[in-house]
Amino acid sequence: MSIHDSAPIPAQAGIGLRSHHFREILDAPPPVAWMETHPENYFGAGGAPLHILERIRSRYPLSFHGVGLSLGSTDPIDRAHLCKLNVLIDRFEPAFVSEHLSWSSVGGHFLNELLPLPYSEESLDHVCARIDQVQTILKRPLLIENITRYLTWRDSTIPEGTFMAEAARRTGCGILLDLNNAYVNAVNFHLDPIEFLEMIPAEAVQEIHLAGFDRFGRMLIDTHGQPVYPEVWGLYQWAIHHFGPRPTLIEWDTNLPPLSVLVEQATQADAILGGCHASAL
Amino acid sequence: MPRLCELQQAFAKAIVEGKSHAAAETMAEDGRSLRSLALYRRLIRNNFVQVLTITYPVLHRLVGPRYFDVLARGYLKRYPSMSGDLFSYGRHLSVMLFELQVPPLLVELARLEWVCHEVHHAADPPPLSQGRLQAIASADPAQVTFRLQAASRLLSFSFPVHRVWLALQPEAPADEVVELPLPEQETGVVVTRGDGKIQVTPLARTDYLLLEAMSCGADAASVERMAIESEPEFDFARFLATVLSLRIITGFSVTETL
Repeated sequence: MSIHDSAPIPAQAGIGLRSHHFREILDAPPPVAWMETHPENYFGAGGAPLHILERIRSRYPLSFHGVGLSLGSTDPIDRAHLCKLNVLIDRFEPAFVSEHLSWSSVGGHFLNELLPLPYSEESLDHVCARIDQVQTILKRPLLIENITRYLTWRDSTIPEGTFMAEAARRTGCGILLDLNNAYVNAVNFHLDPIEFLEMIPAEAVQEIHLAGFDRFGRMLIDTHGQPVYPEVWGLYQWAIHHFGPRPTLIEWDTNLPPLSVLVEQATQADAILGGCHASAL
Repeated sequence: MPRLCELQQAFAKAIVEGKSHAAAETMAEDGRSLRSLALYRRLIRNNFVQVLTITYPVLHRLVGPRYFDVLARGYLKRYPSMSGDLFSYGRHLSVMLFELQVPPLLVELARLEWVCHEVHHAADPPPLSQGRLQAIASADPAQVTFRLQAASRLLSFSFPVHRVWLALQPEAPADEVVELPLPEQETGVVVTRGDGKIQVTPLARTDYLLLEAMSCGADAASVERMAIESEPEFDFARFLATVLSLRIITGFSVTETL
C-alpha cells in the first residue's frame, strides 16, 4: 500500500530526475510541478536510490519513463522486467508510465538502445498486441513515445504519425509526444514535423517531451545533452496551440548542467503553457 | 519466420558481428544504410562503455579512459547484455580481466567495485530490535547462529586494494601516492553501506576469519572459540558490539533444543 497521493500531473512543466541532481533537489526542492525518472534505475532491492526517490515522491507528482522493456521486440515480453516495474508502480504511484515505441532485443540479447520499428502492418499488429499485454499486466494504460531514428526501413509503408495514432486507437494507450525527436527526424530525413504532428489525435497526447540534440556532420543526434533549441521551442508553441496544454518534461541525460538550468528551461515551457491557458480564457 | 523477426536478427548481427549486408538489404535505398549502421554501432558501444564506467569508476580512473575503452569493448564482445535493465551488466569484468592476465591488482579492484555496486543496491536490512537482542543474550551460544545482511559483504584480496580504491575516490587528493607493500599481503575487507555511501573497511585477520565463519553459519560458541585460539586476549564482546553497530549482522537464529 502506498502513502502517496496519486493526483494527476498538471499541464505544467516538470524535469527529468537524475542522480547527479539528488543532493541539490533534497537540499532545496526546485519550483517545478513534477518529475520524471527511468524506473530501471530503481530496480535494485534497496539502498539510497529508493530512499531518495521516496523523499522526492513525497514532494512531487512522478512519472515513470521506461527505457528497457523492448516493446517492439519479437522476443517474448520480459515478465521479470514487468514484475519489477509493477512493484515500483505500487510503491510510488506514478501518474504516467511510458515506454518507447521501439525495440532493443532479439534472441535474448539486448542492445540496450532505442531501435526503430519498420512502420508496417506487421509491426503495427505486433506492437499493438504487446501494448495490450503490457497494459493487462500493469493494469493501467501505457503512454508510447515517438523515438529518434537514424535509418529508414524498406518495409515502412505507414507514416510514423499514422502508425502511432492507430496504435493508440487500437489499444487505448496514450501518446507521449517527444518534439525534439520529431524535429531531429524531420531534419535528418527532410520531413515536415508539422505533418507528423497533425496525424496525432489530440485526445491521445498525454505528455510532451522537450530536449536538446547535438550535430554530427550533417546528422542531428538526440543526445539530451543541450538546452532545447529555438526550432524545437517553435514546434512546442505550435503543438501547445494545436493539442492544448499538456504536462511537459525537460529531458536532460548527458552533459548534465546545474539543476538551475533545467529549472530555467521548465520556466520557459511554463510561460508557453501559461500563454495558451490565458488565450483560452 | 515473420519479416519483423528476420529484420531484428539481421540488424543485431550487423551491430554485434559487423555483418552489415543482410541488415542493409532491409533498409531504404537512400545511400546511407552503412553509415546508419555505423552510427548505431557507435551509439550502442558508447552506451555500454558508459555503463561500465559508472560501475567501475576507480578502475576507469586508474587505467585511464583509453585503456578502459579497450577493456569495455572486449567485455561487450564476450558478455552481451541479457537484460533490458543494466543492473547486472558488468558482473563478469573481473573474470575477463583474470583471463586476459592483466596485473592482478586490476582484477581485484574490479572484484571490489562490483561488490560495491551490489551492496549499493542490496536490500535494506531489517531492524534488529532490543527485545530480540535480549532474547539472544539469554540463549545457549552453541545454539545461536548469525545472519549477515545483504548490504554487507566480506572480501579477501592478495593486495591492499582498498587503499587504491580510497586513494582514487573523486574527493581524494589528485596527487596522492599509494605505496603497496611487496611481497603481496593478504587483506580482508568488509563492504558496507552507511548513510547512502559505500564504505570499504579493512579488517584485522582475526576479525575477518570470525566474520567469515559467522557468514558460513558457525554458531556463537564456535566463533568465540576460534577467536581465543587465534588471539588468546581477543575481546569477543567488543567484536560483537562492533559488528552490530556497523549493522554487518542483521539477524540471529536460535536452534531449539529437542
